[in-house]
Amino acid sequence: MPAYFAYLVRRFGQFVLVVFIGVNIAFFVTHATPIDPVEQTISATTSFGSTSPEAVALMRQSLRDLYGLQGGLAHQYFAFWLRVAHADFGPSLSAFPTPVSVLIGRALPWTAGLLITATLFSWAAGNLLGGLAGYYRDSRLLRATGFLVMGLHPIPYYILAFVLLIVFGYVWPVLPISGGAQMNLPQRLDLAYIGSVLVHSILPLLSLVLVGIGGWFMGMRSLVSNIVTEDYVAFAELGGVSPRRILLSYVMRNALMPQVTGLAMSLGGIFNGAIITEQVFGYPGLGSLLIDAVHAGDYSLVLGITTVSIIAVASAVLLIDLLYPLVDPRTRIG
Amino acid sequence: MRLWRMFAISAVLCLLGVGTYAQEEINSLPRNETLIAENPEGTIKNAGWFNIWAINAGGQSTGLQQLAMDTFWYIDPEKGIDGVWENSLAADKPIYNADFTEMTVKLRRGIYWSDGVEYTADDVVYTVQTHLDNKGLRWSAPIQVNVASISAPDPTTVVFKLKKPNSRFHALFTVRWNAMWIMPKHIFEKVGDPGKFAFDPPVTLGAYKLHSYDTNGKWFIWERRDDWQRTSLGKFGEPGPHYVAYIDPGPPDKRVILQFNHQLDIIHDTSPEGMFTLAKQAGKTSHGWFKGFPYAHPDPTLPAVIFNDQNPLFQNRDVRWALALLIDIKAVSMASYRGAATISAIGVPPTGTYPEYYDKPMEAWLKDFELDTGKRTIKPYDPTEGAQIANMLRPSMGDQIPTDPDRIAASFGRGWWKTDPQAAAELLQHAGFTKQGDRWMTPDGKPFTIHVTVEGDGRPVMTRAGSMIAQEWRQFGIDASTVVAQGTMADRRGAGDFEAMIAWSVETWGGHPDLSYFLDSWHSAFVAKQGETQTPRNWQRWSNPDLDKIIEQIRGISFDDPEGVQLGLDYLKLVVREMPTIPLMSYNVFTVMDETYWTGYPDAVSAPYTDPVPNWGNSRYMMVKLKPRQ
Repeated sequence: MPAYFAYLVRRFGQFVLVVFIGVNIAFFVTHATPIDPVEQTISATTSFGSTSPEAVALMRQSLRDLYGLQGGLAHQYFAFWLRVAHADFGPSLSAFPTPVSVLIGRALPWTAGLLITATLFSWAAGNLLGGLAGYYRDSRLLRATGFLVMGLHPIPYYILAFVLLIVFGYVWPVLPISGGAQMNLPQRLDLAYIGSVLVHSILPLLSLVLVGIGGWFMGMRSLVSNIVTEDYVAFAELGGVSPRRILLSYVMRNALMPQVTGLAMSLGGIFNGAIITEQVFGYPGLGSLLIDAVHAGDYSLVLGITTVSIIAVASAVLLIDLLYPLVDPRTRIG
Repeated sequence: MRLWRMFAISAVLCLLGVGTYAQEEINSLPRNETLIAENPEGTIKNAGWFNIWAINAGGQSTGLQQLAMDTFWYIDPEKGIDGVWENSLAADKPIYNADFTEMTVKLRRGIYWSDGVEYTADDVVYTVQTHLDNKGLRWSAPIQVNVASISAPDPTTVVFKLKKPNSRFHALFTVRWNAMWIMPKHIFEKVGDPGKFAFDPPVTLGAYKLHSYDTNGKWFIWERRDDWQRTSLGKFGEPGPHYVAYIDPGPPDKRVILQFNHQLDIIHDTSPEGMFTLAKQAGKTSHGWFKGFPYAHPDPTLPAVIFNDQNPLFQNRDVRWALALLIDIKAVSMASYRGAATISAIGVPPTGTYPEYYDKPMEAWLKDFELDTGKRTIKPYDPTEGAQIANMLRPSMGDQIPTDPDRIAASFGRGWWKTDPQAAAELLQHAGFTKQGDRWMTPDGKPFTIHVTVEGDGRPVMTRAGSMIAQEWRQFGIDASTVVAQGTMADRRGAGDFEAMIAWSVETWGGHPDLSYFLDSWHSAFVAKQGETQTPRNWQRWSNPDLDKIIEQIRGISFDDPEGVQLGLDYLKLVVREMPTIPLMSYNVFTVMDETYWTGYPDAVSAPYTDPVPNWGNSRYMMVKLKPRQ
């Protein structure tokens, strides 16, 4: 146990270091952007109206004061870390004065709902089918399934999204192609709203799942293909253990460990949002928010989203690393 | 296998069931009473923010500025519902004193806010005073630069004392796309900091009030006020749609699909290809501003090749003219708009009332205009370029291409500059450039290189125009290429970080001939030094003493003075001679309207009463013309 405790402390130290370095890189990259949020605001404000040059000069000065951009980079750097320490990313510059945390909080449930479901579904289906295909290598049905999912896998998910959009939005218009729920439906936890959310998520979900299954499928199939040649599997077969038990308890269980690691990494990554899926289907979420923020030069919001994402991915990896030694005694922690 | 079959059948049945549900895109609102329009702002990050006076805090064209806001005057970019000028919250036109240091506004009576409180001079005084007292509001800067004080001698009169003469101060309260909107004093005076108040739900002066909105910013639904007669729109009759929804439909392909499915009545803009598809496959119900080719509404905006005139390469007008004569406008029209462009050789867009005020009067002068190439004089203007584009399209588009010369001019534009590589070579040689082999060299012996900055995916039509122009220059021996700016376009434009770019520095009222809307900002006093940020709109950083004189003369006359048109013509002749930018075409917007549920949309021929582009404040006039079909 002391060894595990030392491992835990060491691993947590690495976590803090990764987050610190990641957030610093995010800070300097966003502040190195050539997009100036003040100029973006001025452009948006004056592009349609008749605003005199003198007024624009005054507006520029007022916006720099308002957005708190007067100090140098060092001043902004320390102010940023001070805010992060209080779990505050400051106001969004492109939706001023609304706090960044409010905007993230509003978008996160949609992204999390869609991507957690898509990731879990792809993971479960991919691993199950991959495990079966690796074990029952002579099954025609499983070979056909493998052919299908591996055929879909290399297709960029946005291409598949457009295909789904055209098939189910235009050729056979049976599914909604826009938004997270029906218009004018009160946002509350009742059957109508939940049903509408589910229906609106079918196409975005399919575009992610159909492409996502392939990776898990191939990984699991090759893992299983290796494991079935192990001595203990041969002994189990010779010992008369049922094929189903061999598959579930001897083969897939052992093959699952690296897949669980991959799952944790994928779940951590959901905080980036599925940018193109959200754009194509007009689905609310962090991806669209991030793109808008980048275009607007809203580095408060970009930093907020990237910081959340960095912490999420690092936490997922940390969690897996901490659980691994408990689940798999072969893991070296010394 | 039986299991798989059952699964497949169940999936199809589920989809059929879902399909029935999916057709009802709006919950519990009658579709035949609801107009659905695109909001080109997309998804609003801060949906619950309706305080339009807080700068950049929430959406504007969510219906907020079109249906809920109001101000003194409107100028329509087209013919207008009752003439181009409309006194909205004002009872009359602005009244200036002799030296333009005071503006008096007589206010309309009988207008009420949606909560039943009467609109009075107190609201106007409060609006202006709040912008004088607060730095960070949307219109704080223009108010603080111009207004010394405001007073209300009686409930229907307000008097602005200005800090310096300004004969165009009323433009701040005159809607083209938007303008400074009037605030409800009885709401805002109770909230403390006006920049931090969400104003949800908004109390409106327009004929609609907020019905509901998506907290994720995808849609906003407005409901006609029961007391619509007590709004400024009331004098034109009852607005047709009971409900108006502004939605974010997503990318251009989706907008087309939604209109095919009759789930989007007005597409704000789509690609030329999307427009052609709709015209071909849904032509019975969907149409654009022109009911045939080129479909699009020409906005009163003038995309051009904008040179950075502070760059030594472009300071000689011979060089600018040479580059203009290398452009084949027909090829640019085909590459950018697939031929659906309205070309313009002069420095105003050929839209709204401008063909009458400027294009037609300039035609004879343009035909006679002579350009000295250094070796000879040429007449570069070809009045048939627009007709040539029409002829090029006729074999593929057939009857959709008009034959009447006036229709051709309105649809495709009039003339442009003849492509003349020989004259271009002479002009470049006159400017000290030389040709070595097949490459042109600058006077100091370096290869003549031009980077044309284009916006990229965000503005594909303009990007395609820039690519074609760069290609034409390259074929002549100039090392030209495009640079895709994407989100940095506004920064580069302001910083002067470009050699040439495809953008616009000319925007006009469309319906009114006064050019000060953009031209005042072209005065040399506002040209930034190299390395400093240029304020809108003289992105070309061009200064010229003759132009300054014209601008100063315009400042000295009133808005409606007929002399303004003459000064406008002087400006046009000057920029033809000097070619500080190369005007290309109007900014054509493929607004597509579906007549399945609504009729009475504006169009170029039978109902040019307003601009159909639904994010404009003026699009409120559509509401009183639209009638339900079912």
